[in-house]
Amino acid sequence: MREEAVLFGEMKSLVGIVTDPSERRVNGHRPAVILLNPGMVHRVGPGGIYVKIARTLAAMGFVVLRFDFSGIGDSAVRHDNLPFDKSSVLETQAAMDFLQATRGLGHFILMGGCSGARISLQTACYDPRVVGALPINLPMPEDDDGNPDQPHGRAAYYYWRIATHNLNSWRKFVTGRADYRQILRTLQFQARCRLPSQRKASAESLKFEANMRLLVNRGVQLAFIYAADGSPSETLREAVNGAFKQPRTPGNVRIEIIPRTDHTFSSLSDQEQLLKTISKLIDAITAATSNAKSHQLSARLPRSVREKIQQYLERRRSLPQLPDTRLGSN
Amino acid sequence: MMPVKAVLPFYFGSPDKPLFGCHHEPRATLRTCAVVICQPIGHEYINCHRALRQLAVRLCDVGFPVFRFDYYGCGDSSGDAEEGRVSQWVEDSSTAISEAKRRTGLGQVCLVGLRLGGALSTMTSVQRDDVESLVLWDPVVNGKRYLEGLLRLRKEVLRLRPKPGRGRKPQSSMDVLGFPLSDFLRSELEKINLLAIGRKPAKNVLVIHSDQAGTNNSLEDHLVHTEARLQYQRLDAPPIWLPTSNGSLLVPNHVLQAVVSWTCRTHS
Repeated sequence: MREEAVLFGEMKSLVGIVTDPSERRVNGHRPAVILLNPGMVHRVGPGGIYVKIARTLAAMGFVVLRFDFSGIGDSAVRHDNLPFDKSSVLETQAAMDFLQATRGLGHFILMGGCSGARISLQTACYDPRVVGALPINLPMPEDDDGNPDQPHGRAAYYYWRIATHNLNSWRKFVTGRADYRQILRTLQFQARCRLPSQRKASAESLKFEANMRLLVNRGVQLAFIYAADGSPSETLREAVNGAFKQPRTPGNVRIEIIPRTDHTFSSLSDQEQLLKTISKLIDAITAATSNAKSHQLSARLPRSVREKIQQYLERRRSLPQLPDTRLGSN
Repeated sequence: MMPVKAVLPFYFGSPDKPLFGCHHEPRATLRTCAVVICQPIGHEYINCHRALRQLAVRLCDVGFPVFRFDYYGCGDSSGDAEEGRVSQWVEDSSTAISEAKRRTGLGQVCLVGLRLGGALSTMTSVQRDDVESLVLWDPVVNGKRYLEGLLRLRKEVLRLRPKPGRGRKPQSSMDVLGFPLSDFLRSELEKINLLAIGRKPAKNVLVIHSDQAGTNNSLEDHLVHTEARLQYQRLDAPPIWLPTSNGSLLVPNHVLQAVVSWTCRTHS
């Protein structure tokens, strides 16, 4: 595989790294994968996990771009007043334009943790070139009371899975040093979760459901990944099923929870599990997108794009290859 | 302030071990010296990236060409994290200095090192004659103590994370927040002792201590004996290399300002 540092975007101010597969793995029909910043962390990701994801997927034959949104990592700040939720979508589209122009690739899978997960879905709604999204630990919209579920979910996870097994925590609890208000709030949250009909959907939740309908009906493959650490996966499942008013999750939506992992996959074993899950889901997405429908899409690609793919494949053959010594190399 | 050109990212060094670097080029080079920034490693590298990028921009604003880079097996550079070696990183720092000189055409270099980057920049400086000045920002002076800190953090993180299930084999390799800490790397880190360095690392040295917990004056006392022109500053700032509870990445404005002011004065 080969890594290239690139500058792209309207002002050539977005910094990214393209990981190209080795020549024998190049497949022009595969979608390219774009990794989106998880919060403020730059393009290597927490614990360097984005680098590992990019190299693993390149070893599977995918072209992968991981880049920094403006104002994050090495990318320069924007000089307009565009809010982040709009500029991030535009910049993700700029990343697709870049790969289309330089690699001739016309279909994309977007992947990202946390805020990157949200942007992957937003961009997928706007841009038909996105055939799949892999949101990791997608924060769920707040309910109508303005209470985000995620902090309560994490607190519940901490209390039940960690604190109850910890002598110090019990000591604090019986000696009056525990945060009783927080414990009470968490118990209320859990009780509320058991009564889904009591939850009032906020405007944001309704928008999320509408976006889900749009993406599912367009045939976009969605694979949500959650760490076990207080994940709002049940809230997500409810929202997805609610969007289609049916008890079963649609076929092109997958929800994977990785057991015994934390929010940032902060250990080598967490990372290993995440890489395995991503590889499995990417395979599933690719298989689904290479069905008849996506063949039709490929056929509909403009001739100029198809020529770019051919040129890219030819250029790749002439590039010097580095030895594949990395994780999951072929 | 002078507007700066966008950063130029590229790979450099030997083709079998390419390193990632970012060159910040001022619109006009007003100085006779290029600045090379040596970053920390592991989770400290992630947490400090934003502050060091800001530092590069500020130095560039006052006319210094600045070069930041990732060590082999770290960040965007080639190699797996498991391949990290102190000796390799010292060699990488030297390669980065040569690259910065080649790109800028300048003969003198100022090294800025944060945490382990401080130790690595000192170890590199004593091997070369072209490092004019050296900024050590909360440098790792004693490798054993640094390692103890890493292991303490690891213990704290493990306490708060999900426990492995029954029947699951324990992890064979040790890591701190997802960054491997191999036996070999541990043994190399343990050997780091800046107080054992015999010759002066640079003509001018600035030592900044913001970490109240890890402060002692032994490094300053030692550097005085090497006849380096030394300045010491104690600044009140948070330990930006440690993880924060809400995942925010801190930029200590007055530390950056102190580095920029001293570098400007030294290379006026």
